Amino acid sequence: MKFQLEGLSVYFPYEYIYPEQFRYMLELKRALDAKGHCLLEMPTGTGKTITLLSLITSYQLAHPEVGKLVYCTRTVPEMEKVLVELQELVEYRAKYYTGPGQAPPPILALGLSSRKNLCVHPTVAEEGTRESVDSGCRKLTAAWVREAAQKNPEVETCDFFEGLERAAVDAVLDPGVYTLEDLRQYGRKKGWCPYFLARHMLAFANVLVYNYQYMLDPKVSNMVSRELEKECVVVFDEAHNIDNVCIEALSVTMRKHTLEAAARNVLKLRAAVDKCKQTDANRLTTEYNRLVAGLQERGVLNPLPGGEEFVANPALPEDILRESVPGNIRRAEHFCVFLRRFVEYLKQRMTVQAVEQESPTTFLAQLTERMQIDGKTLRFCYDRLSSLLKTLEITDMDDFTPLHLVADFATLVGTYAKGFAIIIEPYDERMPSVPDPVIELSCLDASLAVKPVFQKFQTVVITSGTLSPIDLYPRILNFHPVAIQSFAMTLTRDCMCPVVLTRGADQMPMSTKFDMRGDEGVIRNYGRMLVELAAAIPDGIVCFFVSYSYMDAIVSRWNDMGILKDLMAAKLVFIETVDVVETTLALDNFRRACDCGRGAVFLSVARGKVAEGIDFDRHYGRCVVMFGVPYQYTLSRILRARLEYLRETFQIKESDYLAFDAVRQAAQCVGRVIRSKADYGMMVFADQRYQRHDKRDKLPGWITSHLRDAHLNLSTDMLLHVAREFMRSMAQPYDRLAIGKSLLTEEQANALGAPAVPALA
Amino acid sequence: MLGTTAKQPAADEPMEDAEEEEATADLAAFQREYEDDHSWEALQEDEFGRLRPLDQKEEQRAKRRRLLSAAASARIRRGMIRYLQVVVDLSQAAAIADMRPSRLAVIGGVLQGFIREFFDQNPLSHLGLVVLRNGVAEKLTDLSGSPEAHIAKLRAALDCGGDASLMNALETATDALKSIPPYGHREVLIAFAALSTCDPGNVLDAVKAAKQHRVRVSVVGIAAEVHICRVLTQDTGGTYGVALNEKHLEELVNEHAPPPPARAADAAASLVRMGFPQRNAEGFAGAAFVGADCKLGDGGYTCPRCRARVVELPSSCHVCGLTLVSSPHLARSYHHLFPVPAFAEVSADELARLQGCRRTPKAKPQLWPEVPWRAHCYGLDPQ
Ligand code: SF4
Ligand SMILES: [Zn+2]
Repeated sequence: MKFQLEGLSVYFPYEYIYPEQFRYMLELKRALDAKGHCLLEMPTGTGKTITLLSLITSYQLAHPEVGKLVYCTRTVPEMEKVLVELQELVEYRAKYYTGPGQAPPPILALGLSSRKNLCVHPTVAEEGTRESVDSGCRKLTAAWVREAAQKNPEVETCDFFEGLERAAVDAVLDPGVYTLEDLRQYGRKKGWCPYFLARHMLAFANVLVYNYQYMLDPKVSNMVSRELEKECVVVFDEAHNIDNVCIEALSVTMRKHTLEAAARNVLKLRAAVDKCKQTDANRLTTEYNRLVAGLQERGVLNPLPGGEEFVANPALPEDILRESVPGNIRRAEHFCVFLRRFVEYLKQRMTVQAVEQESPTTFLAQLTERMQIDGKTLRFCYDRLSSLLKTLEITDMDDFTPLHLVADFATLVGTYAKGFAIIIEPYDERMPSVPDPVIELSCLDASLAVKPVFQKFQTVVITSGTLSPIDLYPRILNFHPVAIQSFAMTLTRDCMCPVVLTRGADQMPMSTKFDMRGDEGVIRNYGRMLVELAAAIPDGIVCFFVSYSYMDAIVSRWNDMGILKDLMAAKLVFIETVDVVETTLALDNFRRACDCGRGAVFLSVARGKVAEGIDFDRHYGRCVVMFGVPYQYTLSRILRARLEYLRETFQIKESDYLAFDAVRQAAQCVGRVIRSKADYGMMVFADQRYQRHDKRDKLPGWITSHLRDAHLNLSTDMLLHVAREFMRSMAQPYDRLAIGKSLLTEEQANALGAPAVPALA
Repeated sequence: MLGTTAKQPAADEPMEDAEEEEATADLAAFQREYEDDHSWEALQEDEFGRLRPLDQKEEQRAKRRRLLSAAASARIRRGMIRYLQVVVDLSQAAAIADMRPSRLAVIGGVLQGFIREFFDQNPLSHLGLVVLRNGVAEKLTDLSGSPEAHIAKLRAALDCGGDASLMNALETATDALKSIPPYGHREVLIAFAALSTCDPGNVLDAVKAAKQHRVRVSVVGIAAEVHICRVLTQDTGGTYGVALNEKHLEELVNEHAPPPPARAADAAASLVRMGFPQRNAEGFAGAAFVGADCKLGDGGYTCPRCRARVVELPSSCHVCGLTLVSSPHLARSYHHLFPVPAFAEVSADELARLQGCRRTPKAKPQLWPEVPWRAHCYGLDPQ
């Protein structure tokens, strides 16, 4: 349908639109008009993606001055899904376009991913990890390799890269929507490398879909997203964990073996420098001169463009000094010595007996005192290393990852005095007997990484199914949205049944609180509850536990008590493990058991892979049980440091943040079972603490609106009663036409969207 | 409630109090919704002091709706001669007491009623019973035409335990239905209490086989929607319903009493040989042998082909296999093919103005469009 939204023609590829989609568009449009950022929460299953795409592309059509739509997703499958929906939209638009000109203006949309997902080189593409594909590619495409190949045909290069280079300016993509697979096919057909083609086409695309990192992680974004124009609209979808992504982007963790490997790297580097001196001393001299001249001129060195570029500086663009490298590390030998001393120093710091925590400032002060290394030198460590690796023509970059980590660490410590903490732990606190020293540079401030994005781009949309409590996000991310809105889902029947379970059948309270966790009675009550639930609910049940260790402990207790056996009589039991392959296999079998009617229970962990990315829709998840409140491990030093920082900088109370974080994880977990409006599922919050308002009120509106009084503070037998009733009523045939009541037709949408009706806001 | 008590207490103690209060409120809400079942308050007596069924009006509405839909679908081809395998799930799930008095008793009662109703409406059809228990499907009765025999067997078999296996059920039922004559309609009706099926192999293969043999499988669930049942019924063209309560279960099961619409491909049209035996005169009382049983009774019928004695009609002759019916049976079966046209509902005011059949009202009442004018209307006082 095509309708008018306050004067904007919106192309929407379906005959009907949900009211919440309509309101979402309205909110979004106003934010775009106001050229500001917005924060929108709308539950999954309401077609959020198509709503976003439809409105923003329509807006682009009407306002050509708006730049690209940059759509950031968390995973590759999500990215593909977005592109497929966009494909449909573009087809629809082409068919029904009415406006100036005969055909709609062409649209170019593409997904960008790492070489691992885009490479079509027969052997390189087969490499296992991302790093190895990257370095495999560099071996074939680095400038010096290509140069050598010109003289000596024996040297292997990548035909696709050469093809792209030969095509030069002709190497363009026709307008259209390209998924990763489309890009690969196109590349194969034309003989062009899809990865570099996509990189090259970034500038011409109307819609870009890529991973969060490409926008948030300075190491990648400095390379990819720097060229984007200011007028772009940036969307972060499924952004409920965006603060964690931001923090990870600026954090570095080094273990003992990292440092040992880094030390070996330094030796290797040293050897390479020596060799280079004997064979081609000239190169080192050129580099030296260039460094004297200043860093900006990096890259002038390459006579031929090559695919060897490294990841960029880990610091944010505006914090990178535009100065020449300090004299004491300009010479390659000196730099090697510097690296060796620095790694030695870190190693020595690692031998602590007790946990140490300090700010970058104290760390630097000590460093200067003990090693005579100053902050400014550290700051250039990263760029100096890249330059040296380039000069030495080293391509197997994945070997040098440990040294890169050290350089990242050095640069970040040198650059930032505030918002970071350095934490040195001799062992994991949960296992004090196993020495496992680790040095962490932990970013405490999520707003740091995302700040440039907010500053640079006109409109940034942060959206997800669960962003409650929604007013906390602007504080953590430190920005000022022009629109904050949470939308509920219009439903024709009560297909969601959240309940709060507080007591066992014996009326004893149930909780995973620290002092109750190990209690025999609580464990038994939890177990019996699950067994009985398994007998009352058909097909699939998903359970989430607060941590792996808790899950292991409780499952083995259940085994001793014979509860596991009872559970297996009703349904098969599958468990998530840390091993991805094992978990995938378990999931596969879980689905099979649900398909063939045997029924199954999947036990997994909040904050785990399953909780974040796997859907348990339809019969795969008729019920989800959240055992306990998934708090973070509160004794963790990093969390402590971050809480302190939040309190001091943003005045966010520790308990508020912890509860917020726990509840958003819980909401994320239970949300796994409802993926569309036709779906139904029960959500059991099994902990006494959910009864309290400070937890319950933090749940997103689309859950709390279904949380009825009669479903609070239940005991196990009451729960079963509710479950049976709910399952029965949901099994009744329901009138698919009744959905029509919650849909708007074109006329209705037009009527609502007339500019004269501002009442909807 | 979230709105009403969400005020933030200052100290810890008042908070506890508030919570306490709230907990009681929640409990009350739960009871209101799930436990306060004052069904006796709704009971009504009629003028003779007899208890009247609760929702008489609703019941009549439903009946009328059924009739109407039957009338509307008069053109639909229906299978007259049905072979129905009724599968009763007597696994341990049938022992759960969430229906009153217990699932088992309810299922037993409903099915007995259904068997009678089935033969009442389909005198020419056959029915067999299969029981699911302890992971196996055991054949209780063979496909045959005598309601009482089935009911007696079913009554005797009502106890439960173990798991249910849909695969075994399907295989047993399909096996029995495979060999029936081509004009018969093959149907399976499963009363499923369990929420999972424990199969020795892949149940989907059994579904495929059932489909291949043109068996229409319907399921009436007793607890909740199970995915495999949905798949099973969709694949074989049957229906799937889940009972909300005892009453609803009965309705769902009895929906299977009238013959379902038949697809042309399901059974070929063909001539069926039938016998119309005469009832023996009272005085000729004697024994009739049905299989191993010997039944004594007065009257009875004699098969016109082999002269064997049978006790009741309809049935198939236990000696020569001829289908024995009486003409009213045949007429009753025809009922489904040519349903009586539906009567229109006439409001009370309208009734007052009407003057009965013989006299023409001045204006044609608005509510009568469904019945051809001048159709008879009974029971109206000629004024
Ligand atoms: S240039 Fe492209 S195709 Fe060739 S190896 Fe690198 S990523 Fe693969
Ligand atoms: Zn005979």
